[in-house]
Amino acid sequence: MTEKRFYQVGRKPWEWRLKPAGDAERARGRVPGTRRHWLKWRDVHNDKSLKRERVMVDKKPLWWTIGLVLLLFITPFLPNSMISVVSIFCIYAAINILWTLIIGTAGIFSLATLAVVGVSAYIAAAANVYLGVPWPFMLIIGPMAGLIFGAILAAPSTRLDGLYYALLTMGVAEICRVFVVQLRALTASGGAITNVDSFIPEDWFLQRPGLLLGFVGAFLLMLGALLVWRLVNSERLGMLLRVAKTSREDEAFAEAVGIDFRRARLMVFIISSAALGVVGAFYAMYYRSISPQIFSLDQLLLLFAMMVIGGLGRAEGAVVGAAIVTIIDKGLIELGPPRIILVALIMIGVTVFAREGLMGARNQFRDFRNRKAGERRARRTEKGGEAMPEEATEVHDKQELYYRRFNKRLRDKLKDMITPELIAEHQRDPLGHHSDALARVLNFFRRGEMADKYVIHRMKPAEEKFRIMAVSGARGMPPRVVDDREYSDIKEAYHAVFLLRVNDLLES
Amino acid sequence: MDLGLIVYALNLASIYALMAIGISILWSSVGVINMAHGATFAVSGYAAWLVTGALKPVIAASLGKTALASAAMAGALVGSALITGALCGVVIYLLAFLPIHDKPNYPVRALIITLGLNIAAVQGLLWTFGPRSQGLPKIFGFGRWEVWGTKIRYDQAGTIIGAILIMTLTLGWLRYSRRGLEVRAMMQNAEGAAYSGISRQATALPVLMLTGALAGMAAALLSQTIFVSPTAGVIPLIKGLTIALLGGLGSVPGALIGAVLVGFLEAGVGAVPFLGQRYVQFATFLFIITVLIIRPRGIGGLLDDTRE
Repeated sequence: MTEKRFYQVGRKPWEWRLKPAGDAERARGRVPGTRRHWLKWRDVHNDKSLKRERVMVDKKPLWWTIGLVLLLFITPFLPNSMISVVSIFCIYAAINILWTLIIGTAGIFSLATLAVVGVSAYIAAAANVYLGVPWPFMLIIGPMAGLIFGAILAAPSTRLDGLYYALLTMGVAEICRVFVVQLRALTASGGAITNVDSFIPEDWFLQRPGLLLGFVGAFLLMLGALLVWRLVNSERLGMLLRVAKTSREDEAFAEAVGIDFRRARLMVFIISSAALGVVGAFYAMYYRSISPQIFSLDQLLLLFAMMVIGGLGRAEGAVVGAAIVTIIDKGLIELGPPRIILVALIMIGVTVFAREGLMGARNQFRDFRNRKAGERRARRTEKGGEAMPEEATEVHDKQELYYRRFNKRLRDKLKDMITPELIAEHQRDPLGHHSDALARVLNFFRRGEMADKYVIHRMKPAEEKFRIMAVSGARGMPPRVVDDREYSDIKEAYHAVFLLRVNDLLES
Repeated sequence: MDLGLIVYALNLASIYALMAIGISILWSSVGVINMAHGATFAVSGYAAWLVTGALKPVIAASLGKTALASAAMAGALVGSALITGALCGVVIYLLAFLPIHDKPNYPVRALIITLGLNIAAVQGLLWTFGPRSQGLPKIFGFGRWEVWGTKIRYDQAGTIIGAILIMTLTLGWLRYSRRGLEVRAMMQNAEGAAYSGISRQATALPVLMLTGALAGMAAALLSQTIFVSPTAGVIPLIKGLTIALLGGLGSVPGALIGAVLVGFLEAGVGAVPFLGQRYVQFATFLFIITVLIIRPRGIGGLLDDTRE
């Protein structure tokens, strides 16, 4: 038996569905230790075929897996310079993901992210170089430094709001830079700490095995940042903060239902700062040195551009933006200053045209398309009166569609019949014997709907004074006067009504 | 504190005030944190350098070495800086205000666009002119005045007087002209101004041109003391922003007081022997952060509720 084929007509986007056997049991794995499922499947049944189907509602995990696996397997085959570009991309992506956590989830517009990275990198590197702490402990010292610095930074964030805090943190970054540059112990190296011990053995540094090891480390760092993102944004803290996200009213609401959103924000800020501390320690180890360049405004703006291009407040935006900007900035390095101009132009273009960066472009395009389709439909229904195909799918009573089509054709026919002779004939004799054409037109008018139907009103009993009104069509609502003209002869009034109706017909 | 120090402090304060007032007015009336203010500064400096470089032989040929010649030179320098600043304002208006001012999330998007403009302009200057800094002609000449036993350099005095003059003109324009009234109405309550028939689009253009011209003026005046370079705008931008914050964004008197305070603080810290010039930035930022923590809305800033 051949299966009947259905064409995909209509406005639902086509999507890929599993068709499990009807009697198969449903088996879904859970993430160990939690009650969450790995993927978000939904069981539905098809209205037409009455068969069981399975839809993946959230396809993002799929795209993440594909992207990350591709990155992991393609990188070892790239040339040396590209491997370091990919590693830098991973580090930047990690910083951006954590920054997104601060700006998007916590809603604190902090520009001191790189300052946190830099401070913890400096403290970890100093511990290694001057105190002789072995490198694995840097990964503990870094986050501790980040935690403390983050806690200090977070303190004024509850008092100051929005842009004030942003500019304050920019000032903090500048203070850090000036402080490091002024340190007497570091003046010989221009403020940099060099010869930091690293997880990459010294004789492998800048060699292919060392680069590959560095890449693996950076990749793990990015995965770690994504894990932090997932744990903070999608678990309890993120859910609490989503209540108080958009506006001041939401904050009041959150407070009223007992959510201490300020504390939750501080928690997110401090957790991300600690995670940024890990990034800082890694950064110092990856380059085997750390310089005041990390506090500079240019570097900060470059990272900010990444987030803006990808879309502020989204993890995938942070990663995609980092990829685009790193490829332009580090991959096309022979271009010179124009590549930064290119980044800036992309940033401006994305901000002018896209509401939420490149990653939000799909939704924005869908909204745009739906709006345009709606506008077009409205225009066409208004003009023709006949239902358009895409509207027809939404009208439940199909009889209505056929009536509209009939009515439209009838009106088109009647419009052709209306001639000056016909109008003259009606004026001559509104009630008497009519020609075939006039009789058809009048019959159509008689069938008209009650709402807005014209009627003649005798203004005073036993007096020949008429005017034209239109009934409201609703019970209890009085008719309204159409115009202020008065007619002394009933035949004149009949003809005036006829002219109004002809006018309406021709305009429809 | 001797007189020379006070003059130096006033010199710094007048430049800072020019930048901070522009940022402050722009934020409260148009709602843009103008990160491209530094770019406007650098671009007008370069334009003044190009124009004076082109006009120098012409003026020297026609007027010789008279006082009129130096006056013409000064006019060319200040005029070109002002006009370029205003043109930069038009560019910002076309890119960061007009397309998005009625779209969602406008303040952050405007901030991002001006930031992008800043990066693009600075890198563009770097690309065209190279990182070398350029000296502009000294319009106030070289020399010193003797006042009560201290020497005051001509460029310092000229900067202070020029800044005060241009600020008086700006504030007078805001106070007495019809357009200034509209701008002040928008600064007080943008929505209310819109209801009483003040067009946001029509008012934003002169405001942006004015603040651009103020940045151009600051560039012309500061170029008397330091050289012009592509990244010359960064420090004035950060200083202007932080001082505008210190004064409370949107408050013109607050910005003035903030500029004077910071000018004196910097001059004072620079003069203290064991601190010295190295800790000037440090002390300024610490001071501003302390003030903001004590008064989160700045010196002259209104509380949130009153503004809404």
